[in-house]
Amino acid sequence: MLSSLGITSTRSLLTQVLNFALVLSSAFMLWKALSVAADSPSPIVVVLSGSMEPAFERGDLLFLWNRAPDTRVGDIVVYNVRGKDIPIVHRVVRRFGGGATPLRLLTKGDNNAADDTELYAPGQNYLDREKDVIGSVVGYVPMVGYVTILLSEYPWLKKAMLGIMGLTVVLQRE
Amino acid sequence: MASKISVYSVPDLKNTSDDALPNYLTSLKFKQSHIYTDVRLALGYTAVVISGVLFYADWKLGWDKTKFWTLWAVLAYFAINTALTYWIWFVENGITFVGERNGVKLVISTSTKKHDPIYNVTARYTVKDGSKFVEKEVKAKAPFTRWFTADGYFVAKPFQQFLASEISAIGEADPSNVVEEIGRGSSHEGGAKDIDAQLYKLAGFVDQQGQGGSKVRRRG
Repeated sequence: MLSSLGITSTRSLLTQVLNFALVLSSAFMLWKALSVAADSPSPIVVVLSGSMEPAFERGDLLFLWNRAPDTRVGDIVVYNVRGKDIPIVHRVVRRFGGGATPLRLLTKGDNNAADDTELYAPGQNYLDREKDVIGSVVGYVPMVGYVTILLSEYPWLKKAMLGIMGLTVVLQRE
Repeated sequence: MASKISVYSVPDLKNTSDDALPNYLTSLKFKQSHIYTDVRLALGYTAVVISGVLFYADWKLGWDKTKFWTLWAVLAYFAINTALTYWIWFVENGITFVGERNGVKLVISTSTKKHDPIYNVTARYTVKDGSKFVEKEVKAKAPFTRWFTADGYFVAKPFQQFLASEISAIGEADPSNVVEEIGRGSSHEGGAKDIDAQLYKLAGFVDQQGQGGSKVRRRG
């Protein structure tokens, strides 16, 4: 079976495996390089809900930047709710503190009736800029993120795609 | 090499020939050295291990704790990747065989051009000149039609004859495969031109019969 793939020795097997591993690791390291540059654990996020319509719709791809010196009312930030790992994209509507004291923010979805105090963890009624926010939105591409929504809503698609990618790399020897 | 390939795919032709090359040369008691492949594997797997460790650390510890090291891991990864690319493109540069036999060092690189079914072989080897060895470089090429059948089977004999005849270091190791050039099936000029060459020869032949006038470039 292996020889039919053009694999004739341990070294050529290792080389083929390496080619595949390099494709995966390069993608991961590029993502990490972007993370370092933007100082954000997740420099690109996909909008999952319609709560920011009409500014952003489901499937929009957002680019985040976390090195902005200050966050003002009107900025759109992405934050993680404590204890949950779902990023939420909402607009800053109030700010407190800043300077010597930690900057605290209150957010609200443009399309929501109420502000986000309901969404925050129990007992929490504001966001800590340092701890909770993973970046401010600096750019977006409409719709292209829809693929990832499909992938996360239908997990078998993810496996199928990974499998096909893996096979292509192993099988082709150009 | 009993497997069948598509003769219309230049990469298939090249890969099959590249695989046959070490088989043939090691059968002639050339001792193969894997130094280039080993350096490539070492560089490549170092990079992969760095990203694997970072992936694990990120997954276990999270962004805040790994932030500092992520920067260094990213820098190291891309530095090694650049070195690897440099190695493959400029140092290995198509080397398919490195070996040694009775003190003669032999390095063979092969290449093809896109859509051009010609096997280009560059051999660098040492020749004994009195008491010391001197470096020699030979370039040879031949159309793949010489050692592939029309239906895509590799035939070892003409392939070995091509190498043994063109590269004297191999010829010395395998005198029985050295054949004299009779201008058939091989070319120093190139594939499509090979047919030209034969046509010119034919024309030259006609020329000699006295139908003259046309300029005939004699080849190989």
